[in-house]
This record gives sequence, C-alpha cells and structure tokens, in this order.
Amino acid sequence: MIRAIVRPEKKDDVLAELSSAGFNAATMVDVVGRGKQKGIKIGGMVYDEIPKILILVAIQDTDKDAVIKTILRTAKTGAEGTFGDGKIFVSPIEEVYTISKGIAGL
Amino acid sequence: MKEIMVVVRMKKTGATKKALVAAGVAGFTAVKVSGRGRLVTDPVQIEECKAKLLAMGMTDLGDAGDTEKLITSFLDGSRLFPRRLFTILAHDDDVPRIVEAITKANRTDYGIGDGAIFVMPILDAVRVRTGESGEAAIW
Repeated sequence: MIRAIVRPEKKDDVLAELSSAGFNAATMVDVVGRGKQKGIKIGGMVYDEIPKILILVAIQDTDKDAVIKTILRTAKTGAEGTFGDGKIFVSPIEEVYTISKGIAGL
Repeated sequence: MKEIMVVVRMKKTGATKKALVAAGVAGFTAVKVSGRGRLVTDPVQIEECKAKLLAMGMTDLGDAGDTEKLITSFLDGSRLFPRRLFTILAHDDDVPRIVEAITKANRTDYGIGDGAIFVMPILDAVRVRTGESGEAAIW
C-alpha cells in the first residue's frame, strides 16, 4: 500500500494522473500535520497543523515504481520542489479482499 | 498481530460495528474518507446504470444537461464517493473470522462499490493505560 501525503491543492492533479496511468482506485483522508521544518512561521504566529491530504493506494508490487514516479512528478511544486510538498510511504499488504465480489484480490 | 483496514459505505457503518461486536472485536478506529474504486469498463453496464440514475433525477427542475453531466461524472471515475475507513488491530488467528464478518455485513447486490479489506502486518502495539505491549495490548 502506498500512503502519500500531498498538498490539498495538488490532490486533483495527482488523482487525475494516477487515473490516466491506470490506477483509478484510491482513498483520501483529510489530515493535518507538520514536517521537519516544525511548521510555518508567519509573523509571530507558528502554524504547526498544516492541512494535507493522505492518499491511500493499494497496488501490485510490480506497479510500485510507476505509482511512486507519478505521485512524485505531480505533487511537486516548482521545478525543484518546495518544503511542504509531502511524503510517500510504502507498506506491505498481506491480504486483500474485494467485498462486492466476495473474493480475495484487488 | 495484524492491522485490518476496511473501506465501507457510510450507510454500512452501523452494520459493520454490529458485525465486529458479534465477532468479538469491540475496539476500532473509524475516519471519514473519500475515494474511488476500480473503473467499470463494460459499456452495457454503464448505460444501464446511467438510464437508471437519469430516471431518478428530477427533470422538470433545473437544467437537464446539468443532471446528465453529474451522472456521467458518477460513472466515469472523475468523482469521489464518501466512505468510512475502519482500522482494526487483531491477533493473527482472528483475521479470517473478522474478514468474513465484515464481508457478510457489507456485501450488497450492486456488485460494485462495497469497499475493500486490506490486511497488513503490525510490528508492535503499546497500551497507553498499562504500558503493556505486543499481543497483550490488542485486547
């Protein structure tokens, strides 16, 4: 399972690109968080609960690189990327069941 | 130790909770999520579904084009649907039982959109109240 934390404004881009790359299924959660920059300081105010979107994508092992590349390409702001563009985490899934079909597998 | 993540219909939250309690699993975390699943590619099925949805819409009010646009976006995968994401920690032996209970509670006749169950390994868990860890921290 790929868990990607992206900017809320990049959500639609990432989803559209994932869909056109053939990975239509995804789950989105609204989250807040901070990174290693300890949030953003604007004036005297520190914002350390920055809203982001957590995208969960369940894929086959062989598609991992394609999905990661797509997210890296679309979630980046500017040519070099900026602090706050997010992270991608990859974790193993042992079993998958599709409820509507009642079978194991994606 | 396993982590079971389940995406279910909003309407099925209550049924899922009941099924979990009946299966002997009282503890879980649930969040509201939005998402989409595998695209339906069969054109016959899409047309059938579209006709059904159009018949449900109010054609005398508003713009009929808007209704059709909305229904098309339901079917072409560009729209996200609200769902509930359950996260359940379980002992290895209990996983098949829980999966079966959830499947039974959530399966509908629609044939699509009932959600998915992911079973993932968890390395450790700690109960904050007592500090016990590992299998004892689950329930």
